[in-house]
Amino acid sequence: MRQALNTLYRTATALAACCLLTIATLVAVQVLGRLFDWIMMTAGFEPLGIQVPSLAEIAGFLLVGASFLALAGTLRNNDHIRVSMLLQAVPAGVARLLNIWVIAIALALVAFFTWNAGLLAFDSYEFGETSYGVIPIPLVLPQSVMTLGLLVFSISLLDDLVLSLTGRAPSFEAVVKADPIEGKE
Amino acid sequence: MDLSLVAILLGLGMLAALATGIWVAVALFSVALAAMMFLVAAPAGPVMATTVWGAANSWDLTALPMFIWMGEILFRSRLSEDMFTGLSPWMRNLPGRLLHVNILGCGIFAAVSGSSAATTATIGRMSLPELKQRGYDERMAIGTLAGSGTLGLLIPPSIILIVYGAATEQSIARLFMAGVLPGVMLCVLFMGYVAVWAALNRRKMPDKEEATPFVQRLNATRRLFPVIGLIVGVIGSIYAGLASPTEAAAIGVMLSLLLSWASGTLNRDSFVGALMGATRTSCMIAFILAGAAFLTVAMGYTGIPRELAAWIGSMNLSPYALLIALTLFFVVLGCFLDGISVVVLTTSVILPMVEQAGMDLIWFGIYLVLVVEMSQITPPVGFNLFVLQGMTGHNIFKVARMALPFFLLMIVAIVLLVAFPGLALWLPQAMQGN
Repeated sequence: MRQALNTLYRTATALAACCLLTIATLVAVQVLGRLFDWIMMTAGFEPLGIQVPSLAEIAGFLLVGASFLALAGTLRNNDHIRVSMLLQAVPAGVARLLNIWVIAIALALVAFFTWNAGLLAFDSYEFGETSYGVIPIPLVLPQSVMTLGLLVFSISLLDDLVLSLTGRAPSFEAVVKADPIEGKE
Repeated sequence: MDLSLVAILLGLGMLAALATGIWVAVALFSVALAAMMFLVAAPAGPVMATTVWGAANSWDLTALPMFIWMGEILFRSRLSEDMFTGLSPWMRNLPGRLLHVNILGCGIFAAVSGSSAATTATIGRMSLPELKQRGYDERMAIGTLAGSGTLGLLIPPSIILIVYGAATEQSIARLFMAGVLPGVMLCVLFMGYVAVWAALNRRKMPDKEEATPFVQRLNATRRLFPVIGLIVGVIGSIYAGLASPTEAAAIGVMLSLLLSWASGTLNRDSFVGALMGATRTSCMIAFILAGAAFLTVAMGYTGIPRELAAWIGSMNLSPYALLIALTLFFVVLGCFLDGISVVVLTTSVILPMVEQAGMDLIWFGIYLVLVVEMSQITPPVGFNLFVLQGMTGHNIFKVARMALPFFLLMIVAIVLLVAFPGLALWLPQAMQGN
């Protein structure tokens, strides 16, 4: 069970990273294509007109994937920021209760969010909504990815809630950072 | 119920949520949800889903993960050493000598990175041990670094300006242009202070080192060329109107990978580390932005920001009085909150008030970033303090004391920005004119 869950979180985060990688590649291809065409034109040749169709929309959708699929992994690496002053100041027992409160609130919110994101995706599917660009992309696709990311996030919060209710440390409290800057603005 | 009472209750709710350690993004969402459910007839759930979808799915915002990634790659490259060897021969004859390496190094790295923590860590990794070994005053070595590290926020590319631009629908390219001159001004203020301090405290300065011959200096500077090329390529293409910020950022990622490969620091570990770091940091920020977008919409439904704006308007404050009040408020808020949270809370609640007072939103963005820079070095919560605590072992209050002169210089910078709004607005206008 533990292993299956960890694999789930890791896979989602890895997919998020792939989204970023794809954005960078597509945008770079677009810019290099423009540069190439400019060189061709300056040299007096016909431009090839290399470009990625609907890039702005596709990049936006990939960004949704990157942002939402990484939610659980970011939580488990303790990268979601919060004010931890009070937590550090109170005795361990109180801090444990505070953490339970924090996780419970987050779980309630994210579960509600997951449900509504799911409804949004379902609506887009029912009405067959697509994006407006050259390539019409059914909106249900990126919206399902958003829902999926939120679902994985809900699962990881539930996971941490169970851990802290049974007296163990939640994942984000157990992280030791070697690198002082990661996850900072 | 009276709207001002509701506003106070919501504000207290937000403070309580943040203070008990609820994640910033979750706190923003929860308060917005509470406001929607209790005050507004519109269905909260669907409004939340559509608002977040609209805010998260954005081409402009795509620049954010790209610039973060670029910074992560460069942080893992050999840039830190190159910066020190390249800059130090030129600084030896200035009053204050190698202390200026901290300031200029941060200024230059800030032009390829949008993060204050990454700037501080990258420059400090090399300069702190070197300055210590040469016997420079530790208070100044750490203070200059803490202060100038915050330039990462102001000198474009800037994560916080992208956040502000996305939240207020201002052009990110124009915000980037507006940040340049105030950033340079801050560098000059810092360097001027260091020079004066060094002249007054000769005994605290180490013995002078022998000057390096000119040719040798040029040779050492050669190692800075790649990073200068990167700045010109990335930021220059935005200013020249050749590329949108997102395009420039993606090219920046490619060029940084190339630079890291050329210097032999690109390997599987550093690549994966940078990519995963960027994925998580941008996820954290995107989640906060999503919460802020929902809070903005929820606040719009409740009408609180409009009422607040009208109330402030009825007091007939001069813009200066308003800015003084805002600055005090932000400094206090910045002691306990990180910069991004300060920015998104501002844009969700008090932006109508700022517009009502007739301030230019580009100018206000730069002002806000300057205030947020101050919040990076105010205890007990300031990211630069955390980074420097990690690097030096001094606790954050001690680091904050060392950084105090630079905090005061930032107040001077704010006064100058208020007195001469052209510092921020001239460059975007001049560039737009082309």
